[in-house]
Amino acid sequence: MLQRLYVHNFRCLENFELSLKEMSTALIIGKNGSGKSTIANVLELFQKIGRGITRVGKLVELTDFTAERSDVPIRFEVEVLIDAKLYKYLLVLDLPKNFEELRVLEEELVVSGKLIFSRKAGQVKRSLTKSETQFIVDWHFIALPIIHNESENDPIYVLKTWFSRMLILAPIPKLMSGLSSGASIEPNRDCSNFGEWFSGLLNQFPASYTEMAKHFKEIMTDADVIENEIVGKDSKSMVVRFECENKELRVKFENLSDGEKCFFLSALVLASNKHIPSLFCLWDEPDNYLSLTEIGQFVVSLRRSFKTRGQFIATSHNAEVIRKFSTENTLVLYRNSHLEPTLIKYVKDLELNSNFDKKDLDIALILGDLTP
Amino acid sequence: MSPNRHRPHIIILPEDRANEQIANGFIFNNSIIVNNIQIIPPAGGWIKVIEKFNLDLLPTMQEYINRIVVLLIDFDNNSDRLKTVKQDIPELYLDRVFVLGVFTEPEELRRDVGRSFEDIGTALANECFEGRHDLWVHNLLDNNRCELERFASVFRTNFIRLD
Repeated sequence: MLQRLYVHNFRCLENFELSLKEMSTALIIGKNGSGKSTIANVLELFQKIGRGITRVGKLVELTDFTAERSDVPIRFEVEVLIDAKLYKYLLVLDLPKNFEELRVLEEELVVSGKLIFSRKAGQVKRSLTKSETQFIVDWHFIALPIIHNESENDPIYVLKTWFSRMLILAPIPKLMSGLSSGASIEPNRDCSNFGEWFSGLLNQFPASYTEMAKHFKEIMTDADVIENEIVGKDSKSMVVRFECENKELRVKFENLSDGEKCFFLSALVLASNKHIPSLFCLWDEPDNYLSLTEIGQFVVSLRRSFKTRGQFIATSHNAEVIRKFSTENTLVLYRNSHLEPTLIKYVKDLELNSNFDKKDLDIALILGDLTP
Repeated sequence: MSPNRHRPHIIILPEDRANEQIANGFIFNNSIIVNNIQIIPPAGGWIKVIEKFNLDLLPTMQEYINRIVVLLIDFDNNSDRLKTVKQDIPELYLDRVFVLGVFTEPEELRRDVGRSFEDIGTALANECFEGRHDLWVHNLLDNNRCELERFASVFRTNFIRLD
């Protein structure tokens, strides 16, 4: 479970802290440009590190410094609770004079108070089970993905795996294809590798099909089965079979509507949460592509699944989504201007909204009253 | 995902955000068939709940015979509130309309039990599911005794998963 995220000097995030301690589900709201997607970008950066992207230049660009302030390091701190152990990972990037690419200034992993590795520029100090070792890493590379793991219980491996399995979703249904030539449990942010994700989940967790089927049959009562047909030597294609009054219709996944594709996406998220321990999911605007009658139950299903395991964070502007969260787990991002950093508050702490529980949410949203 | 209107379904019409959050918490119980329950936006006062019911829901009550409506209101310390609300509901539909709520207002219940609205809703659902009455007999909720008895039997029959 993500407990804390701290970011400094990265785009609109200056001395920014997101605290989600013991929050299994949360909603982040805010006007356009307030920084919601930037939070997703930061989390995606950790996800990329977990998925093996090591070159700093592929993670952060020179334009990512807040207000072009390249003389101040960019700082990322993340605290994650996995199996009751607190993982604190720190990454500081800077741009020395005459450099064309950022480098790692500091990097550190501490688990439940015990130092696992620390790094200053290129010099890495690694604590092993019975010894300590030091070595040099090119300062343009992140150490976490390249340090050798002692075993699958090695804290470095555990955190890397947690990062890699984070679901950071902002689906673009037009890009979502049921075709796959491989298998993965690591969907892209736009979900363009949906077919591979479906295949990957079934390969690794065959029982996940039961969970998916249960969910999509609840959503689309005439959906009968999803087939993953072999269409070439190494390729598969998803086909959904609908059945009604003894009549059958087979529809290629690509030909489903945008909203229907999102239903299937939510089925995969729920199945993943059932089978992948400590799953983290951030879904940027889950209401996109859905009709008004569907949004409420869609969000409730996701919140319900993550209430007892994993963690689900949504961002949205939609009143129907906001209504499905509470004042305790809704956070507001706001910026006074483009020259000022993003600030964050819980809705329950907004003085202006002390009587929020009595207010008309639609009117508050239209008037912009959900900001301090 | 929206309820099939020809099968048993519940529409919850809350008075305000506080009641809405209690309703949200109520449907978090995994044993509840969530697709058959819809919470519509708060009316903005108990009188408006009645107005909204009459305007938006009443016209279709006859057509959708499996529709159940829960009006979630504040009783504002008024022991006649239930009677007053029911007077405005046509007798024909009284068996499908339930009027529930905190005897004063949810904020007082929240202060008293020290839990969020959502958690209160979840606890109330769990008690319905398990056939227990702990929070339901709190002095700010005890006013619901008769309505709850009627509601619980309908609820258990149609809205709990069997698997």
